[in-house]
Amino acid sequence: MAPALANFARVIRAPLAAILLTLALGFLLVASITDEPVRAYRDLLLANFDSLSNFALFLNRATPLTLIALGVVFSFRAGIFNVGGEGQLYAGAVTATVVAIAGASLPAFVLMPLAILAGLLAGAVVGWIPGVLKVRLAVDEVVTTLMLNIIILLITSWLANQVIRDTTAYGAVSWMVPSSIWLPPLPFVPRATSGFLVAVVLAIVSWLVLFRTQWGAEVRAAGTNLRFAEATGVPAARRVISAMVIAGGLAGLAGALYVLGVGHRFEQNFSPSYGLVGLTCALLARVHPIGSLATALFYAMMLNGAAYMQISTDVPRSLVNLLTGLLVLLMTARLRRAAQAT
Amino acid sequence: MSVPDIILSLAAIAKSFGDKAALSHVDLDVRRGEVHVICGENGAGKSTLMNILAGIHQPNAGSIVLNGKTVTIADPIAASRLGIGMVHQHFTLVPSMTVAENLFLGRQPRRLGIFSDRRQMVERARELIARYNFHLDPEAPVRTLSVGQRQRVEILKALAFDADLLILDEPTAVLTPPEVDELIGVVDGLRARGRTILFITHKLREVKAVSDRVTVIRHGRSISTRNTADVTEADIARDMVGREVFLVGRKGNAQRSFGAPVLTLDSVSMTNHSGRRLLDRVSLEVRAGEVLGIAGVDGNGQTELAEAIAGLMPVQAGKVRFGDRDLTEATLSERQQAGLGFVPEDRLDRGLSVTMSVAENVAATNYGRAGLLSGGLINRHKLDSFAGEKIKEFDVRGARPSTQAGWLSGGNMQKLVIARELERDPSLLLICQPTRGLDIGASEFVHARILQAADRGRAVLLISSELSEIFALSDRIGVMYSGRMMRVLDRAEADEETVGYLMNGGSKEAA
Repeated sequence: MAPALANFARVIRAPLAAILLTLALGFLLVASITDEPVRAYRDLLLANFDSLSNFALFLNRATPLTLIALGVVFSFRAGIFNVGGEGQLYAGAVTATVVAIAGASLPAFVLMPLAILAGLLAGAVVGWIPGVLKVRLAVDEVVTTLMLNIIILLITSWLANQVIRDTTAYGAVSWMVPSSIWLPPLPFVPRATSGFLVAVVLAIVSWLVLFRTQWGAEVRAAGTNLRFAEATGVPAARRVISAMVIAGGLAGLAGALYVLGVGHRFEQNFSPSYGLVGLTCALLARVHPIGSLATALFYAMMLNGAAYMQISTDVPRSLVNLLTGLLVLLMTARLRRAAQAT
Repeated sequence: MSVPDIILSLAAIAKSFGDKAALSHVDLDVRRGEVHVICGENGAGKSTLMNILAGIHQPNAGSIVLNGKTVTIADPIAASRLGIGMVHQHFTLVPSMTVAENLFLGRQPRRLGIFSDRRQMVERARELIARYNFHLDPEAPVRTLSVGQRQRVEILKALAFDADLLILDEPTAVLTPPEVDELIGVVDGLRARGRTILFITHKLREVKAVSDRVTVIRHGRSISTRNTADVTEADIARDMVGREVFLVGRKGNAQRSFGAPVLTLDSVSMTNHSGRRLLDRVSLEVRAGEVLGIAGVDGNGQTELAEAIAGLMPVQAGKVRFGDRDLTEATLSERQQAGLGFVPEDRLDRGLSVTMSVAENVAATNYGRAGLLSGGLINRHKLDSFAGEKIKEFDVRGARPSTQAGWLSGGNMQKLVIARELERDPSLLLICQPTRGLDIGASEFVHARILQAADRGRAVLLISSELSEIFALSDRIGVMYSGRMMRVLDRAEADEETVGYLMNGGSKEAA
């Protein structure tokens, strides 16, 4: 066990150092704009743990980030630069909502899995499209996933405004989904979604699948050198497509779990660019599933903490954008050396 | 005979990068007007030594005496001012420019000091080409030239600086056999004009063909300097490797008997997207226990032949049979199951994933067979011990199971690929360019493995553009030209002349 522990320490040393350095530089910045830098920093980092409800909001924020980041891990490991997390998330959320509203008469034990599955499948389809285009026609996946984001956001906007709109509410939001299929809260944390548990379990499963199965080894072979994978008898094109289907499915699942666990309806603006932030989480974690869980938690803490900080001091919450930018910079600066060490 | 005129003398040159010594002690005397070969295995320090002479690196110790004066070569410009011209292994030409433009790049003749004088430039290029008898068109764009012609442009470029001492760094690495012969002719011509040439190579055949004297470098030390006429290839090989080298070969072995055909190609044709014939009705047969060597100048269909047999590219006509089974339409993994072992020609392209670990690379085709899975998951412990065994068995140096494959040297990467493919004890071993870029020690090892497979009754199809390799290992030799199998010769009737003749499409002129 000791070597495994040492190995773990070696892997997290670089990101940890980058995070600490970012926080230290950020502190200098905060000190220059406010009289209460310590207070501001305390709120940024620790207000998430002040109360059970703050903690619940923190977990609710981390859940979609983790799932999207896991999806990104699958696609990147297969060599696909998938920036379509946002579209896949929205497709999952809106599909789950439509199914839940349309099937309101079904018993909950049927409807709940049905809605979740529908969201997952919708995301998977959105992931499948750029995968197939890439493999069969060599269409650049950055272009297709980005464009699909826009297409899907517009479709969901139309659905939310025209089809499933809650006419009694303000803004582009759908009718509530039946309360019988709301996800139960986490034990001991009343307002936190149990979707977080799903995210944690899937992080571990993803790691097992990618690094401890032959299928995962084949996906990574295809992702690192497609022609090598072919020459060892791997159906490389199929592996790449299935990795993209899983990527989309995970993001779609994030959308479905958000609707059933947190929002209880589809809101057109429910995502503060979860897709992009999830991508950043995955990259900061060096495209590692377990690492992605950690970076997603960190990002959730920063995003929520910035709001508390803005309320209690005069430091604007956009500080967090600056800090994350700095973190990305420091991480990538270290990446080259670290990449050689792994 | 008078005291030889020494143009260049190196004494106790040492150079280290960080704490790694590339050169520890090199002495070298080069006589004016001779062709002097520097010979050594990959990593022996040949290139470092040449880069010191070219002014790219500075030595940590030792002295350089040029034309009787001690000199420091601060940078490449200083080197050319001192009359040292370097032709690098990788060409430094601009493909879109003409031969003349490349020759005078950065020093075009000018009119009024501003406008480049094209006519004068072409004229001077023409003179230069004529003086050395190089047969080049000064106004042809470099991208239209063959590799051999490009190399001559490089040599001219060095000579245009009035280099007395010309350094050729592994000049034959990129050339086809007929081009090598032409280069040797060019070098002879330069010597006749009084130029001194330092020729770097690790190919023994060339040492004998081209040089007056040969200096062997091993592990950063100069081992010996001798007259080429007084030594044999085996002597040089021994100095390079530091021990007796067993140059393996099948020649001279007793009459062999072969088993049933393992692989049969029946009039296989392949066409690319634009309709060009890549393979034209190729038929061949490899029997159990036999090594069939396929010779040919690169790019005459050997790559496509391998891909057709491996099932990586579809064939439009003909049959590929393994034993009695028709596998023309089968996937690579089905062919593996039928007994194919495939070592691709380029280990970086198809052979390995350089960012994955040694263990994962060597296990890639063997997870099920080598029992590395338990309960659907990869057993990490078994994977590591499996990789450890292969590393040991194939003497993959500098590798642990968790090492990234990209960190290994070319020879060790190649051993990894071969270890992976031989693990299944394939009934047909398809092995392409097995020793490209490998040094003597590693080549010797790979060759022994190939012959071992044949001796165990496996069929081996060896595709190589290295003629000496084909001759050393094959029981029969097929020659490809322009997508066609010109002929398949028995080893006894195959001599270099016949094979070379067929490699050029059956015409006498060099390609």
